[in-house]
Amino acid sequence: MASGGPGSIHAPAPTAAPLVTAFGVTLLLAGLVTSAIVSVVGVVAFVVGAVGWFREVLPREHEEEVALEPAAAIAPSPHAVQRLAAGTARHRARLPVEVYPYSAGIKGGIAGGIAMAALAVVHGLLAHRSPWYTINLLAAAGSSAMTNAPEAALSQFDAQALLLAFAIHAVLSVLVGLLYGALLPMFPWHPAFWGGLVAPLMWTGLIAAALDVVNPALNARIEWGWFVATQIAFGLVAGLVVARSSRIATFQHAPLAVRSGIETQDDR
Amino acid sequence: MHRDADRPSVLAILHDWVVTVDHKRLGLMYIASGLVFFLVAGSEAAIMRIQLALPNNHFVSPQVFNRMMTLHGTTMVFFVGMPILLGFANYLVPLMVGARDMAFPRLNAFSFWMSLFGACLLYFSFLGAEGLYGGGTAPDVGWFAYAPLTARAFSRGNSTDYWTLSLLVSGIGSIGTAVNLLATTLCLRCPGMTLGKMPLFVWLNFVVACMILIVISPLTAAQIMLTLDRFLGAHFFDTQAGGSAVLWQHFFWIFGHPEVYVLILPGFAFASEIIPVFSRKVIFGYPFMVAASVSIGFISLGVWAHHMFTVGMTPAGNTFFAVSTMIVGVPTGIKVFNWLATIWGGKIRFATPMLFCIGFLFQFLCAGLTGIMLSVAPFDWQLSDSYFVVAHFHYVLIGGLLFTIFGAIYYWFPKATGRRLDETLGRWHFWLFVVGFNLTFAPLHFAGMIGMPRRIYTYQPGRGFELWNQLASAGVVFQAAAIVFFLWNVVRSLVRGAPAGADPWDAWTLEWSTSSPPPPYNFETLPVVRSRRPLWDLKHPDDPDWRYE
Repeated sequence: MASGGPGSIHAPAPTAAPLVTAFGVTLLLAGLVTSAIVSVVGVVAFVVGAVGWFREVLPREHEEEVALEPAAAIAPSPHAVQRLAAGTARHRARLPVEVYPYSAGIKGGIAGGIAMAALAVVHGLLAHRSPWYTINLLAAAGSSAMTNAPEAALSQFDAQALLLAFAIHAVLSVLVGLLYGALLPMFPWHPAFWGGLVAPLMWTGLIAAALDVVNPALNARIEWGWFVATQIAFGLVAGLVVARSSRIATFQHAPLAVRSGIETQDDR
Repeated sequence: MHRDADRPSVLAILHDWVVTVDHKRLGLMYIASGLVFFLVAGSEAAIMRIQLALPNNHFVSPQVFNRMMTLHGTTMVFFVGMPILLGFANYLVPLMVGARDMAFPRLNAFSFWMSLFGACLLYFSFLGAEGLYGGGTAPDVGWFAYAPLTARAFSRGNSTDYWTLSLLVSGIGSIGTAVNLLATTLCLRCPGMTLGKMPLFVWLNFVVACMILIVISPLTAAQIMLTLDRFLGAHFFDTQAGGSAVLWQHFFWIFGHPEVYVLILPGFAFASEIIPVFSRKVIFGYPFMVAASVSIGFISLGVWAHHMFTVGMTPAGNTFFAVSTMIVGVPTGIKVFNWLATIWGGKIRFATPMLFCIGFLFQFLCAGLTGIMLSVAPFDWQLSDSYFVVAHFHYVLIGGLLFTIFGAIYYWFPKATGRRLDETLGRWHFWLFVVGFNLTFAPLHFAGMIGMPRRIYTYQPGRGFELWNQLASAGVVFQAAAIVFFLWNVVRSLVRGAPAGADPWDAWTLEWSTSSPPPPYNFETLPVVRSRRPLWDLKHPDDPDWRYE
C-alpha cells in the first residue's frame, strides 16, 4: 500500500477471486459426498478463481485509490500521573509495611497467659473446689505420674506439677504471643477479632483433633466450654495488648546502607 | 418516497462486503459469522439440556441427541471460537502494529471464505432426511470422532464424511489466517515497534498463529487418513485389520488440547488489553506476561495424552503427561497473578468490558483448579468421561473464553462502529450470564463426581442426577435471556447508539488513535512508536512512557 495522489492513498483493490477460489475448493471436496458433478464444478470454479487471483497480483498488484478522511485529533490529557520511584516508600511494598515489635508479642503472650491462667484457676475452684486441678491437668502433658493420677490427686497441691505447668504455659503463651505479633499486621479489620475470636476457635479445633495424642489425661477430663473460654480470654487479652502497641516500619524501604547495618560517616 | 441518490443500494453494499479484502471488514465478517453459529450451537446445547432435565426423557431421540452433541461441540470450537478470535486478530493486529492492512489481503479473504464454507458444508449435512445424493444426515460421532465409531461399519452414509471434509476446508482457512498473522506481525510493524514494544494482544495472537500452524497439521493428516479409510478401504484406524483406534486419539488430541490454548490465549489477550485500561495502570510484569504466553504455547504441545489416561498407557507415559499438565499451570498462574497485580491499587472503572474480565478471572481460576485436579492420573481414572470433565472444560471455554469475548465486543464495538453499546443492557447481559453460566455448569461438577457419564442421552431416576441436571437446565434459561439482552443491545446500538468518538475508553494502543470506525487505510502516515503505550505518549507529551521503559 502506497501513497496515492494528493488527497488519496492506494489500497488493495476489492476482488471476488478469493471467494471464487474458496468456493471451488469447497465444492471439490463436497463432491466426495454428493456427486462427481459437484467436484467438476468445484474444479472449474477453483481454476477461474485462481487465475483471477493471479491476475490481481501479477504482473503488478491491482490497487484502488481511496480518498483520505480527516484524521482523529489526539488531545493532550489534562490528567497528571503520580509515578512511583523504585526504593521510595510504598513502591511495590511487601505486606505488611509496618509490624509490631517482638516485645509487643512477648508482652501480649505474658498478659494473655496471665488472663488464661486466672480463668483456669477460677474454673478449678468452681468446678472442682480446688485451684490446683486445672494446673495439675496441664502438667499431665509432661508428667506420666500426673497423667495416671486419680481425680482426687489432681485436686492436691504438687510443687513439681506447678513448676511443670508453669513452664509449659509460659513457653506456649510467649510463643503464641510472638506469633500474634507477627501475624496480626497481616490481617484486615480489627486485630482483636482475629486474635481474640477467630484464632482461638481455630486452634481449639486443632487441639480437639490432636489432644488424644498430646495429652490423654486432659482429653479424658476436659470440659470444652471452659476450655474455649480460656482460649478466648488469652486471645482477647494478647490480641489487645499487641494491637495497642506502636507499630514499627519494616526495613524494606530503608536505604541499602541502613538495611546492611553499615555504619556511615555522620555529616553533622 | 424516493431514495437518496447518494445512498448505495443494499445490493451494492452487499457486493462491497463480499469482494472486500480489507482486514477490518473481514474481521467483522469473521465475528458476525461466529456469532450466527454461536446462536445455532447454543440452540443445540439448549436442546440437549432440555433432554437431560428429567430422567427417562424423550424430548429428542438418541440419534438426534448425538447429532446435537456432535454439532454443538464441532460448531463451538471450529465455527464459533476460532472465527471470532481470528476475526478480532484480523481487525486489531494491523491496527495495533501500525500497519495499513494484513500482509496478504487476498489470502485473508480466501481464509475467511474457506472458514465460512467449511461451516456451511457441515450444516449442509442436515439437508435430506436420508440423504441428499446419499449425504445421510448430520454427523453423530462426537466432535472428537473416536475410532472405530467412525468406521463404515458403525457410521453408515456420509454424515461422518461431512464432518471430516468441513473441518478440512475450515482448517485450510485457519492455516491461511495464521500465516497472514505471522507475516503481518513480523514484517509490517511500524517504525519503533520492536517485539518488546508490541501490545500483549499482538504477542498472544502471534503465539496462537504459531500454534495453529503446528496443531492443525496433525488434525488435517488424521482427517485425510480417516477419509482414506472410509473411501478407499485403508485401515489406519481399523483395529481388525492391524490399524489402531488409539492412533486416532493421539492424532486428534495432539491437535485437540493445544486447540484449547489456541482458543484461550486470545481470551488472555483480551483480558490483557482491557484490565489495564479499566484499572488505569500499566500491565504488571509485561516481560513475564510475554514469557508466560510463549511458555504456555510450548508446554501445551506436550500435554495431549492427559485426555487418554484411561486408554492404558504405560506408567511412564501417564507420569510424563500428568507432570506436563501440572507444569502448564505455572505460566497460567503467573498471568492470573499479573492481572490481579494490575488491578491491585488501580483506579478501577466497572464498565461492562471490565465486568466480563473480572468474571473471567474468577471462573478461569475455577477452571484451572479443576484442570490441575484432572491432571492427577488416578483422580482422572475415576472421573474421566464424566460430567466433571464437561463442567471443567465449559468453565475454561465459557467462563474463560466466552466471557472475555463478550468483554472484547463491548470494548472494541465503539471502534468498529463509531457507537457505544448501552451500559445498562450490558450489565443485564453480564449478571444474567454470570448467574446462568454458573448455575448451569457448577452443578455438573457434582453430577460427574457422583458418577454421571458424559455423552449419555438419558439416565435412570434415583441415581442422584436429577437435581444437578435440573439446576443446569434452569441455568440455560438465564443464559438465553442474557444473550437476548446482548443481541438487542447490539442491534439497538448499531441503529442509535451514543456516538463513541475515536477513544471512548481513554486507552493507550494505536487502534484508538484512528477515527471510529477507522478509514480503509488505517493510518495516513505510519505512526512512530517509542514505548509500549504509544497513544499514552501522544496524550502526555510531558510525561511519556518511553522515559521509564
